[in-house]
Amino acid sequence: MNGALAVAPILIPLAVAAVQVLLGVRLRRTRTSLSFLSCLALVAVAAVLMASASAPDGGGKTLVYNVGGWPARFAIVLVVDRLSALMLLLTAVLAFAVLPYALGRWQRMGPHFQPLVQLLLVGYNGAFLTGDLFNLFVFFEVLLAASYGLALHGSGARRVGAGLHYIAINLTASMLFLIGVGLIFGVTGTLNMAVLAHLIPDLTGTPRALMHAGAALLGLAFLIKAAVWPVGFWLPRTYSAAIPPVAALFAAMTKLGIYVILRLSLLLFGADAGFASAHFGSDWLLWLGIITLVVGSIGMLGARELGKLASYCVLVSSGTLLGAVALHTPAVTAGALAYLVVSVLGIAAFFLLAGLVVPRETPEGAAQLEPYDPVVDALFAAEDERRVTSPAPVVILAACFLACGLLLSGLPPLSGFLAKFALLAPMLGRGTGATLLFALTITAGLCTVIAMAHAGIQIFWADPDREFPRVEPGETISVVGLLGICLVLTFVVAAPWNYLSATAQQLHAPEHYINAVMDRTTENRP
Amino acid sequence: MEAVLAIAIGALAGSGVWLLLRPRTFQVIIGLTLISYAVNLFIFSIGGLRIGADPVLGAATDPARYADPLPQALVLTAIVISFATTALFLVVLLTSRGLTGNDHVDGEDGTS
Amino acid sequence: MPYGCISTAILLLPFAAALATPLIGRGNRRRTTWLMTSTAGVCLVLSTLLFPGIADGEVLHQTFAWAPALGLEFTLRVDGLTWLFLVLICGIGLLVGIYATYYMPREYPLVRFYSLLLAFMGAMLGIVLSGNVIQLVFFWELTSLFSFLLIGYWHHGKSARDAARTALVVTVMGGLCLLAGVLLLAHIAGSYDVDAILVAGDRIRESPLYLPALALVLVGAFTKSAQVPFHFWLPQAMSAPTPVSAYLHSATMVKAGVFLLLRFWPVLAGTEEWFWIVGGVGLTTMLVGAWAATFQHDMKAVLAYSTISHLGLITMLAGLGSTLGVVAAIFHTVNHATFKASMFMAVGAVDHETGTRDLRRLGGLRHVMPITATLAVIAGAAMAGVPLLNGFLSKEMFFAVALGANHGLELDTLTVLVALIAAALGVTYSLRLVGGAFFGPLRHDFPRQPHEPPRWMRFPIGTLALACLAVGVFPAWVVGPPLRAAATSVLGVQLPVYDLAIWHGLTLPLLMSVIAFVIGCVVYWVLRRRIAARDATPLIGRIPALHWFERALAFATTTLPELQRRVFPSRHLQVQLLLVVLLAGILGLVAVRPLPVPAAAHGMQVDPAFALLWLLGVACAIGAATHAKFQRMAALIFTAGTGLVVCITFVWLSAPDLAVTQLVVESVTTVLLLLGLRWLPKRVPGLSPLSRVARYRRIRDAVVAIAVGAGLASLAYTVMNHLVADSASRFFLEQALPGGGGRNVVNVILVDFRALDTLGEITVLAIVALAVFALLWRFRPAAESIGAPHQREVAPAQDEVHADRHPPAWTDQSATPGLLILLIAPLIALFALHLFLRGHNLPGGGFVAGITVTMTLIVLYMAGGTRWLEARLRIAPARWIGMGLLLAIATGLAAVVLGDRFLTSYHGRWTVPVLGEIPFNSALLFDLGVFAVVTGASALMLVVLAHQSLRRVVQPPGPPRETGEAEP
Repeated sequence: MNGALAVAPILIPLAVAAVQVLLGVRLRRTRTSLSFLSCLALVAVAAVLMASASAPDGGGKTLVYNVGGWPARFAIVLVVDRLSALMLLLTAVLAFAVLPYALGRWQRMGPHFQPLVQLLLVGYNGAFLTGDLFNLFVFFEVLLAASYGLALHGSGARRVGAGLHYIAINLTASMLFLIGVGLIFGVTGTLNMAVLAHLIPDLTGTPRALMHAGAALLGLAFLIKAAVWPVGFWLPRTYSAAIPPVAALFAAMTKLGIYVILRLSLLLFGADAGFASAHFGSDWLLWLGIITLVVGSIGMLGARELGKLASYCVLVSSGTLLGAVALHTPAVTAGALAYLVVSVLGIAAFFLLAGLVVPRETPEGAAQLEPYDPVVDALFAAEDERRVTSPAPVVILAACFLACGLLLSGLPPLSGFLAKFALLAPMLGRGTGATLLFALTITAGLCTVIAMAHAGIQIFWADPDREFPRVEPGETISVVGLLGICLVLTFVVAAPWNYLSATAQQLHAPEHYINAVMDRTTENRP
Repeated sequence: MEAVLAIAIGALAGSGVWLLLRPRTFQVIIGLTLISYAVNLFIFSIGGLRIGADPVLGAATDPARYADPLPQALVLTAIVISFATTALFLVVLLTSRGLTGNDHVDGEDGTS
Repeated sequence: MPYGCISTAILLLPFAAALATPLIGRGNRRRTTWLMTSTAGVCLVLSTLLFPGIADGEVLHQTFAWAPALGLEFTLRVDGLTWLFLVLICGIGLLVGIYATYYMPREYPLVRFYSLLLAFMGAMLGIVLSGNVIQLVFFWELTSLFSFLLIGYWHHGKSARDAARTALVVTVMGGLCLLAGVLLLAHIAGSYDVDAILVAGDRIRESPLYLPALALVLVGAFTKSAQVPFHFWLPQAMSAPTPVSAYLHSATMVKAGVFLLLRFWPVLAGTEEWFWIVGGVGLTTMLVGAWAATFQHDMKAVLAYSTISHLGLITMLAGLGSTLGVVAAIFHTVNHATFKASMFMAVGAVDHETGTRDLRRLGGLRHVMPITATLAVIAGAAMAGVPLLNGFLSKEMFFAVALGANHGLELDTLTVLVALIAAALGVTYSLRLVGGAFFGPLRHDFPRQPHEPPRWMRFPIGTLALACLAVGVFPAWVVGPPLRAAATSVLGVQLPVYDLAIWHGLTLPLLMSVIAFVIGCVVYWVLRRRIAARDATPLIGRIPALHWFERALAFATTTLPELQRRVFPSRHLQVQLLLVVLLAGILGLVAVRPLPVPAAAHGMQVDPAFALLWLLGVACAIGAATHAKFQRMAALIFTAGTGLVVCITFVWLSAPDLAVTQLVVESVTTVLLLLGLRWLPKRVPGLSPLSRVARYRRIRDAVVAIAVGAGLASLAYTVMNHLVADSASRFFLEQALPGGGGRNVVNVILVDFRALDTLGEITVLAIVALAVFALLWRFRPAAESIGAPHQREVAPAQDEVHADRHPPAWTDQSATPGLLILLIAPLIALFALHLFLRGHNLPGGGFVAGITVTMTLIVLYMAGGTRWLEARLRIAPARWIGMGLLLAIATGLAAVVLGDRFLTSYHGRWTVPVLGEIPFNSALLFDLGVFAVVTGASALMLVVLAHQSLRRVVQPPGPPRETGEAEP
């Protein structure tokens, strides 16, 4: 089997997409079932890879796959360690859960929804797997190209307007990415992350400075993907304009930026990267993260549209994660991973839900939620005893909305609470930045509660005979499914948590990754 | 030689950035094109400049006689990708022009 | 052990029942009621069974694994304090359950109501049973959540909605602070386990983190227990159904804060900070509550404020730091729960019967509902602290504590004084409540005709009133042991001397109660009319805290975001891009410190021709920059010029592959842009003179641009002088021929060494093609965009005039292009094939070949026109794309099948009979895939764009077909 399973996450969706393109727009049913198969396969593959990555021996064994059979130093390597396996599983599950939602009206809004989703997955998985900087760039482009297509799915002035900004900014980001890669390659002569990490401690003087510059530009490219302040303003507009299933799939995209930053900052600039490079830029990451957190929270409070509200939740979570990553502490990293998983699922669910409870197709900035009015009318009004009955679908929607609120604000009983606890607990006693992050994360929770309660009360309580858009079964299935996973994760904690903490340990011992790759450098083609 | 190329890269990038910050979609797309030229040259220059080196393997096996192929390969990929994305951007800006009735990057015709 | 199972059952039953209610209930009110009451009853019984286990201060534990790796265990911990609360929660839950079914309007199924009530009960039990602080917070937040849902039960009333929101925000804020607080505590104590924290008292009190921890925990407690300044949510919460008010907002949930204070008393109490904060807040709350209660007219409002006042009393007792205070606090918690719950239910009965709760409209009800009146009198008397009732006993104890306090004379006198005043006011408002509603002349202007409520509605009130009496008369028997157990669980074995008896002889406390009682009566008698006349509470008004809260919320949700929006005009692309560029510059500068030294240029001599070439190139670039706004065509040509210079540079610096690729891409891009140009609106220079803002922007951007250019230039120069000696390339040069079987190393890298990149690259192309198609699907260019060529304009008209004419006018084309194409097309195709085949050994390859084919198409389109061409040549770009991708993947997978890595290439020589020996290379297949995708993708884009021009003239029927796939 020579580890060819490592390429499967890239090839399965790619092949499926190719076939779907061949099928053309008419055979929609076949295309859809193909997508389901592919996602199912992806979940399975990811699970297997996860199992192999967390092999009995403590560290878990890291699978290195040198494409083309060339020595790892020169070939493009795909690396499956605990982290990448985790992300693979997460995206696969996400995609699988979102698919049913799109079956109905949504995918009919444009010709190529299904293949584009598959190609988006190609981008995700490639980026998670690759161990080569330039290849990372290529898969980022795959991801972005697919995301352009999906963000524009359904066209319309609002989406196109948002898409224009989105594309322009990401094209700029790609340029930065290339410059960064160029610089790093110029002074180190390699694109392989592990080899790079191996070389960095020996760099000195100007080359080191140039390498740092390259890393900084590279980092900026990822920060843009992670929608960090001040380069994240594109996100709320783009996400709230995209159709719900697409926005839900995008929920993992900012996390990809975080993933790469986490991976590289620990791999290249870990504790043993030499005096000048250790924890390079972590202060910047911490403070940018903190600012993003604040900006996101305020945005959340002011959101007049559910889509915007959800988008600002994305900002909050990226800010929190970035800050946590910047702390370079295994325990915090583990908590951050837990938080990452939960927030991806929760935000995706919320985006999907947002499409069900309010009319989606509103022009830019059209308020769906009235602002908060501070006037208190009669404090002790007589009990209003009119009978209230709401149809079952609405009750389900309301329950899901409540669940989303709890999840995103980190309140029990959903797993958001534990994730936040796991993230916050180890932050204590780690300096000013950590304390500030701690406080702000808790405050952000409060802001989420305020915003969500405000929205929920208006949508479900304020006017009893409000018209809700017709909900298709598939849509409910997706939302309930995503939330169900989160509910399960509250009570099944031990196993997942052990995996995450082991992952964090592994990340903080980069030599593990480096050696795994370097061991393959000698091997030549058969 | 290096100096000339460096200045060239800078000039292209500069005029590209200037256009990038303009309010009209067409300016932006031209700007992106120029920047991508600059970036391609930049990556290419990473391989070290060679004049009259053989691009194709001949009898000699001494690597020193050949231009550094890897950056070239990278640039090739980069060129293709930026070609594709530029094309997409073009179509998007046309659509936006069609839907909003103007060619301002924000869709509304404000002051330039 | 059985105890463990019991406690588990107590916790799980309510939640199970809550989930079961919607299923069993099915709108059947009787069944839902039974489910509720029986659950509560069973829990009550189970709780009583637990008593023997904890009677003498033991602690029962039951632990389940939750998240061991996180240091979290799910621990159920039962001690005396817990037990007391268990009985309280279950008992009152049971009574409220019975009461509600008669109170709530008939037509309600009450499914939501009861399942929420049950869930709340479970959460509340969870709090008191928690043996782990995180678990405690877990249930704590749950109670906030359910109280939110219950307050908002009648959510079509705005007051209910506002109340629910206020309660949620305040209590959740408290909960979050509590979370932070317990995290700090656990951080100091090194464990989340309650017992572990309880023994770490000294360490905690000495830690520098003590104050923040204390503050945070107290905020949690005070918000829940409605202490000043967080008290405002409680009166507002009275718009909940009365059973809810009785259960959550007097008996149980508001006691959670008290429970917290008592639970952590051993750890946090005994310090100055504790005394001042807790004692002070308690004192203030007691006074404010009592004062406000005196002036309310709504019976529920009176009760709400009196609850606040009594909670303040309990808090203060806990705050004084004396052990007797703790005993008194526990005792009064129980007493208050009993009489206040019964009072609430009595008021509910009045409201239910008469349809009003306004004291000014009520009176003389004892004539029509004597039994209720009696019960109310008992409960009210207990609230006022009349002897023979439980309220009296705890008040005695409270006075004793107040008198026993010794924190300096002034402070003590103040305490005693406030105690006296509060007690007196308590008497006053109790009198107002009972007297105002039940005594005096019977009025006949009630909204409803009142009569005695049904028996089972009176039953809960009666039970509780009876409890008040029982405790009041035989305190030692009734509450002696549980109280001792509870006190022990907080204070440990050495309890203060206290004596649960009605008569302690003529003591100071007794005297004080008498004084308070007398004052209270007098005040009521003298002021009752004045009070009735007043609208707002003197001195306080209508709780300013609430208005501050509302204003703060309004600020946070409106003003602040507005401010943020104004500070970052994030809607504008230009701003965003500027920020990106600036940040790039800053980060770059920060990162390169110490600034690198551009080492002595050991580069090669500058070739003047090259310099001249770039002078031209730079000129072109700047030209493009300056002309892009008004003369787009010119700008386009300038850009192409720059591209050409780049291309020449590649040739110059021995990179023919790049040159070729650059050339073809250049030309195709230009064609695309040309196709696009015609839809952009005309711009004429100088129509609007540049505003000052615009001029400023231009200068700013120019500066930025120049800075970036300079930066990149110096960066490039520096890096060119610090290139690493041996890069990976050496290996590629050595391996290309033996390993990759090709002489053109660049191409070998693309299709072999780094074939995965190429796979990704063609994927991008494919995606973009799909996206473009999807976007232009059903899209019409703006009507007002530039007109089509004249011939196209007139053609349709022509066709209408001579409908019989064949072929129709729009097909009018001169014959030459057709001829031309027949000649050219095959040639170009042949050239493409040549480029493709030589690719592996000479500049060329799949990509270039593909683009070349596309250019053939372009030529054809330009010459023949869309329809003419598609009538003759059938292109199916989608098919090319799909096939190409599959081919590329298949080539790679073949290797896997053969047991090698993905995309491993094979090459060798085949001897074919006739032809002789021909070289063979699997990478060629891969390149073929590339070729197909490139052709398909670029063709698709062109075709779709070309179709745009077509659509405006002849609208095709129905949605446009997937380009070219269907037969024309």
